[in-house]
This record gives sequence, C-alpha cells and structure tokens, in this order.
Amino acid sequence: MRRSSLASETAAVLAKELRSELRSRVALNAVGLFALTTLIAVAYQIGPYRIHEQDRPHLLAALLWIILFFAALSGLARVFVKEEDAHTAKTLRLAARPLAVFGGKLLFNLLLLLALECCIVPLYLALMGYAVIGVWGLVAVLVTGSLALATTSTLVAAIISRASGSGTLFAVLTVPIALPLLVVLIQGTRAAAASAAFAAVLPALQAIVSLAGVQLVASLYLFPVVWHE
Amino acid sequence: MNRRTVRNWALGLWMLIVIWAAFFYAPAAQGFKGESARIVFFHVPQAWVAVLAFCVNLIASLRYMRTRDPLDDARAATAARLGLIFSILATVTGSLFARVMWGSFWNWDPREVSIAILLLVYAAYFALREAIPDDERRASLSASYAVLAFVTMPFLIFVVPRIYWSLHPDTIINTRGSLDMESRMFQTLMGSLAGFTWLFFWLYSLDVRLARVKIARQAREGE
Repeated sequence: MRRSSLASETAAVLAKELRSELRSRVALNAVGLFALTTLIAVAYQIGPYRIHEQDRPHLLAALLWIILFFAALSGLARVFVKEEDAHTAKTLRLAARPLAVFGGKLLFNLLLLLALECCIVPLYLALMGYAVIGVWGLVAVLVTGSLALATTSTLVAAIISRASGSGTLFAVLTVPIALPLLVVLIQGTRAAAASAAFAAVLPALQAIVSLAGVQLVASLYLFPVVWHE
Repeated sequence: MNRRTVRNWALGLWMLIVIWAAFFYAPAAQGFKGESARIVFFHVPQAWVAVLAFCVNLIASLRYMRTRDPLDDARAATAARLGLIFSILATVTGSLFARVMWGSFWNWDPREVSIAILLLVYAAYFALREAIPDDERRASLSASYAVLAFVTMPFLIFVVPRIYWSLHPDTIINTRGSLDMESRMFQTLMGSLAGFTWLFFWLYSLDVRLARVKIARQAREGE
C-alpha cells in the first residue's frame, strides 16, 4: 500500500516536471543549445582530422564527456531552483513526501540527460569521425553515467536552491564531486570505442555503478534533511 | 604548569625530534635523487591529516544532523578548514618532490589530481557556507554537502590512482600488502604521523574551544 503510494507520488512529480518543462522548455533549450553550440565549436576547430591518430581514442572520449557534462550543468539545477523562484516549494512540501519529490526530480533529470545524449552523441560521432566498435558498451556507459550524474546533480540542485547565488554555486559544488565519475566515464567510453567485447567496458561500468549506488543511497538519506531545511 | 601547558610543550618537543630524525636519524632512501625522499616524513603525514580531517568533518556533520547543536557545525567547519590547510601543504611538498624527481612541479599524475580534487571539494564546501547567511540553514546544508562529498572520497583516494599508471612512488603499504621501508625510516615516518595527528587535534581543539566561547556569548546576547 505504502510502496504504491510512494510510486504514484513519484510519478505525479515526474509528470508535473514534464508538463512544466514542455510548457516552458527552459531546461531543454539551455541544455540542448549549450551542447549544440559547444559541439559545433569543437567540431569546427578540431574536427575529425586535427588530432593525431594515437591521441584520438582518449581525446575524443574526453571531449564527448566534457560537452555532455557542462551542457548538463547548465540545466540540471533548474528542477529545484524554479520551485524556489516561483515560491511553489512550500506547496510541493505539503503535496508529496520528500522521497517522492527527490525520485520525480531525479527521473526528470535522468530523462533530460538521456534525451540530450540521444541527440548529441550521434551528431558527435558523425562530426568528429569517431568510430565506436562497442556500441552496446557505449550505450551502457551513457545510461549508467547519466544515472550517476543525475543523482549527484539533483541533490546538489536541492542544496543550492536554498542558497544565494545558486547559478554559479551549482557548478562549483557539482564539479569536484562529479570529477571521479567523469574520469571513469571517459575511461569506459574509450574502452567501448576500441573493443566490441562488452567485457572491455566492465571495469569502468563496475566503478560507475558503484559510484551511482553510493551517491543514490547518500542522496536518499540526505534529501529529507535538505528539503525540510 | 597545568596539564594543558605540559601537553603543548610535549607536542613541540615531539615535532622537534621528528624534524631532527627526518634529517639526521633516517638514512637517505635509495632510488631517489639526493636527499629528496626525506620530504616523505612531512608529505605523507600532511596527506594523512588532510584525509583524517575529512573523516572528522563527516562525523561532525552527521552528528549535527542528529543533534542540531551549533557546536557540531563548528567542529565540522574547523575540521574542513584544517583539512584544507593540510591539503595545500601536502600539495606543495608533493610538488617540490616532483620538481626534484621529475623536473616539473605538476605532472598530472593521478595522485596529484586526487589531491587537487580534494582541495576543490574543501573549497566548494566553504563557498557553500559563504553563500548561506542563515546560521541553521548553513549548518544543515553544508553538513549534507559534506556527507555527499565524502562518499566520493574512496574513489578519489583509492580507485582513480589505481586506474591510471602513476609516477607516484609506491604507497607505504603497497598493493602487495607489504611494507617496503628501512626500519629507521619507518620509525621516523610513524613518529611523524603521530606528531602531525597530535598537531591536528591540538589545532582542532583550540578552534573548537574558541567556537564554544563564541556560541556561549551569542546565546547570552540573545537572552
């Protein structure tokens, strides 16, 4: 009974986020256009031919995640900042339990990241001439990486929404925590590009899933404290 | 002399013995340029204290979430402040060693990157504290951030340096689980570790006592 109630509240928060976003498209525009602009700048200045063959595996994987990561930073904080700006946070506190709010916002950020990746990654592969042999390995890295990144950024978004100067603070607080994840994501993408065997990305996947797991558990524990502050 | 004064003098004397032992008792390590390896007696304890401070910060933050006692918030902030100072010291001593051994102050070695990220985490913690004017909200949100930051620390300290090839000399207890150190060097290092840990707790207790006085004064003024 209780579990279904939590699930339905989470779904309601997610539906509210999707409706609100489809109405205004602020986060979608911010994340999408940031990623597209950066991708065009990178492709124009570097392109498929200006990197030495031996540097390509690492540099192309690193550039992909730098584009995705900083594009994500430009829009993921909005889920909580907009509630404070619109003075709707108090109503949301009364309407849903903290875990449902966190779950709904986390799922929304995850969907936003996956949508971003669906658009940007194929474009990046085409524009940069990045041949990925292990496509399923790359998909696994992208999905688990998005979950880990969405988890961290959702909790940090909740923290900074209660502070002044929240726009700049979000990047300042998220980057140091997400850097180990970024290192492992680049490692995993590089492995997926070089090998068709799924086993090649397994070490990176284990690290990403572990990071996502500990951050999710910590976030579930911490969110009620942050939300009711 | 009261007991506190005796303890302070003992700490000073202990640190003097550590400095003497680092330069005159321990032999020069083989495989390193000149006397450069002697920096290990200061660099390793500083890095250890930086991590210890992070752990104390976590414990104080968790305690604050349970008790809502402003003194626990002061304990967390003090530990983070000292952790930041010792991280900077560990980075500087590590860079000096890198300059002598590898010809450059910074080589983007995984361990250098780990300590740089640790510095960024501490700096972000203080940026968050500065951005929240309300005392209770600042304490609560910075405690939450401290816990979230701490869970990534094992990846920074233990996983990332092992993913990439590192210039950094083998850690004291290496991946094979053995101790590769001459006995006098080991004694000096253990003495230094004890001395720096003592120094950390001395500085920590000074700052916490000061915070306790400030909190008591604020409470009196509020009545």
